[in-house]
Amino acid sequence: MNTSLDPLFFSVSDTFDLPTHFKHPGISFSFHAEPVKKETLHCYDTFDWKGWNKNNTILLYRRRLNIIDLKNGREIFSVSFRKIPQSFFPNDVDNKATASKLFNLSKLRAFICYGSIETEVRSWKVLDENQKTITSVELRSIPSSNEAQKKLFVKLSPVRGYGKELQAVAGELKKHPEYVGKTTFTDFYKAVLAAGGIVPDNYSSKPFVKLKPSNTIQDSARKLLLSTFGVIQANEQWIPKTIDTEFLHDYRVAIRRTRSILAQLKRIFPPEKLSRYSQAFRELGKRTNNLRDQDVYLLQAERFRALLPVTMRESLDPFFTDLGNRHKKELRAFSRYLVSEKYRLLMQEWKSFLSNDMSSDPAITPDARKKTSDVAVSSIQKAWKKVIRHGREISRIATDTELHALRIDCKKLRYLLEFYASVFPANILRMVVCQLKELQENLGAFVDLSVQQDYLNDYLSNLQCTAENTPFAASIGGLVTALYHEREQVRMNFHKTFDKFDRPETEALFNGLFKKNR
Amino acid sequence: MKTIALYSIKGGVGKTASAVNLAYLSSLTQPPTLVCDLDPQGASSFYFRIVPNKKYSSRKFLKGDKKIYNNIKGTDFDNLDLLPADFSYRNLDIELLEEKKPQKKLKKNIEELNTEYPFIFFDCPPNLTLLSESVFTASDIILVPLIPTTLSLRTFEQLFEFFKENKLDTSKIRGFFTMFERRKVMHREIVEEYSGKKRFLNRTVPYNSEVEKMGIYRAPLNAVRPNSPAAIAYQELWEELMGEID
Repeated sequence: MNTSLDPLFFSVSDTFDLPTHFKHPGISFSFHAEPVKKETLHCYDTFDWKGWNKNNTILLYRRRLNIIDLKNGREIFSVSFRKIPQSFFPNDVDNKATASKLFNLSKLRAFICYGSIETEVRSWKVLDENQKTITSVELRSIPSSNEAQKKLFVKLSPVRGYGKELQAVAGELKKHPEYVGKTTFTDFYKAVLAAGGIVPDNYSSKPFVKLKPSNTIQDSARKLLLSTFGVIQANEQWIPKTIDTEFLHDYRVAIRRTRSILAQLKRIFPPEKLSRYSQAFRELGKRTNNLRDQDVYLLQAERFRALLPVTMRESLDPFFTDLGNRHKKELRAFSRYLVSEKYRLLMQEWKSFLSNDMSSDPAITPDARKKTSDVAVSSIQKAWKKVIRHGREISRIATDTELHALRIDCKKLRYLLEFYASVFPANILRMVVCQLKELQENLGAFVDLSVQQDYLNDYLSNLQCTAENTPFAASIGGLVTALYHEREQVRMNFHKTFDKFDRPETEALFNGLFKKNR
Repeated sequence: MKTIALYSIKGGVGKTASAVNLAYLSSLTQPPTLVCDLDPQGASSFYFRIVPNKKYSSRKFLKGDKKIYNNIKGTDFDNLDLLPADFSYRNLDIELLEEKKPQKKLKKNIEELNTEYPFIFFDCPPNLTLLSESVFTASDIILVPLIPTTLSLRTFEQLFEFFKENKLDTSKIRGFFTMFERRKVMHREIVEEYSGKKRFLNRTVPYNSEVEKMGIYRAPLNAVRPNSPAAIAYQELWEELMGEID
C-alpha cells in the first residue's frame, strides 16, 4: 500500500515569480523563498540505456544519486553519493536496496555519465499557518545554446498527507500569468538531455534489420552485415576505456556474426572477397580471445573464491593480480591495434565493399539472386537438422569434443534465427529461440568450465615449484577440482536438456516457422 | 520492520524528545521511518508542526490499515513520516476494551506498514493501561528513558514485574538514562551502578537546555543543533542500539 503522491510539473515563462502570501478558500499559505543556486545534474545510464528503456532516470545531484521514475517523476531511491565518477557499477553504491535496483537494471554494464548540465534553481517552501511545509516549489532553468530558448520548469513536490493542499497550490499556479502549461517529468528529463546534447540510443548488440522476404539474398546479407558492422563501430571506441566488459563482448559477438554470415552464404559474394574478409575477421576475433577469457575470470573472481574453503581463498589473490596485469597488457596491445592504419583500412574497405554495388554475375555469385525467404528457410532448416543429427549422435558419456562441436552448431543456428528474425512470425520465433537457448546454456556452461580448467591447468604447469608457491598451487588445484565437478554435473544434464529440445513439439515449432515462407 | 516504543510509566522523563530524535536519526540511516504519536497530548505531532486531519480519531486508528495509511503525514524531513495523535486518543483504552484481542490490536493494525517502513517508533503516553499492553505486544524493543532517581528506577522495576506477571518477553526492555547531571551525586551513583547491566544501554543523555528548546525549534535536535551535547548523546545512543539490533 502506498498512497504518496506524484510531483507535478509545469512549464512557465522566464519572468515567473511567487508572492509571499496567498489565500485559497479555506487554506492560507505563505511562500518562503530560498536563495537562488546553481545545480549541476549529472545524467547516468548504461551504454544500452537500460535505465531509460525501463523508465528509470539515474540522476546525480546535491551529492545524491537518485533513481527517478521517468513516467511520473517519483523518486524511487535517493542515496548519498559523494563522487562524480565517469562511470560506476551498482556495487559502488553503499545502499543495498539502491545497488540491487541498479543491478536489476543491468547485471554487467556500468552506468556512464553521459553529460553534466548546469541548471539554475529557485525554490520556495510552501508553509501553512503552523509554519509546516506542505509542499515545495522548485523553478529550474535548463540552458540552451540559444538564451531565448532556455526552458523553465516548475516542480511541485508533494508532502505525504497534504494532497489537498498540493492541489490548491497547483490550482493557484495555473492562474499565474507566467503559467504556460502542464508538463511531465519525461519532458523535463528530455530537456535536460537535449541541453547536454545527449540522445538516448536504441543500441542493441543484436542486429535487427527489417528484411523483405522477396528481396535478393545478396541485398539482405549486405543489410545484415552493415547492421553488424554498426555494432562493431559502436563498441570499438569504448573498448580501450575499460568501462565494462560488455563493449568487448558485443564487439566479439558482432565479429562472430559477421563470420557466420560469410561462412553460411558462400555463393552470394565473389569468392576472392569472401576469402579475404573471412580470413581478416577470423584474425580479428583471435586478437580478442585472451582479453575475453581474462574478462570472464575477473568477472567470476568472487565465484571462484567462494568455490574454495575460506582458508584457501586468500592464496588465490596472486592469480587474480597476475590476471589483472596480463589483462592490462593485452588491452594496451589491442587498443593500439584498434587505432592502427591496418585496422582502419580493413574497416574502411569492408564498409565500402558492403556499400557499393556488387557483382551479380551468376558465374561468380550463383546464389546472389535467390529470394531471401527461400535462403532463410533452407539455411535454418539445414542448420536445425544438423543440430538434431549431431546431437543424436552424441555418445552416452558425451565427450568434450562432441559437446564442443554441438555448441558451434547451435550457435550457427541461433545466429541464423536472429538474422532472419524479421522474415518469420515473431511469436513462433520467440518460442523456438527459447527452446534453443536452454540447450545453448547447457553447452555454453560446459565449454566455459572446460576452458577454465584448461587455463588453470596450463597456469599450474608453468608455476615454479617453490615452497612459497605451495599454498597458491593448492588453491589452483582446489579450484580445478571444484570446476571439474561442476562441469561433470553439466555434462550429466546434457542428454536430458537435448531431449527436451529434440521432441515433436520443437519440431512443430520449426515447421510452423517454415510454413509461411515455404 | 523493527518497532521501537519509547515508553515509561512515569511522565516527563524524555520519551517524546527521545522518540523524535531517534526517529530522525533512523530516517537518515534506515529510511523511511514512521513515528506513531500515541499520546493524546500530541507532543511529537507538535514538535513536527503536524495537526491530524479533522476527521481522524481514535476510532479510525483502531480500524487500522487504510485508515492509518491515509492519515500518515510527511514531516519537514526527508524519509520521516508521522501518524499524528488526536485528542480522542484519550479514549483509546475504553475503545480497546471493545476489541476482541486488545493486546494484539496495534500489532495487527500496523502489519500493512511492514513493506514501507523499516523502522517504526511509538511515542507512548505515560501510564500502564490496555494501550500500553498493546504497545508491548507490537514492539520489538521497548526503550525506557529514566532520570537517574529512585522514583524513576522504581517505575522501571514495576514495569519489569508487570512483564513477568503477564508472561511478556522481558528481553524487549532496554532502559537508558536521560537528563543526567554529573554534578549531582545521586545521578552519578545511579548511572555508575547500572552502567553495563544487561537491561540498560550504556550511553546516557545529559541534561541539556537545548532539549527543552525543541518546543521552540519544533524540529528534532539532531536536525537543528546536531552539535549540542544531547544531540551527540542521541547519535551515540542510536549507534549503540543499532549495534544491538544488527
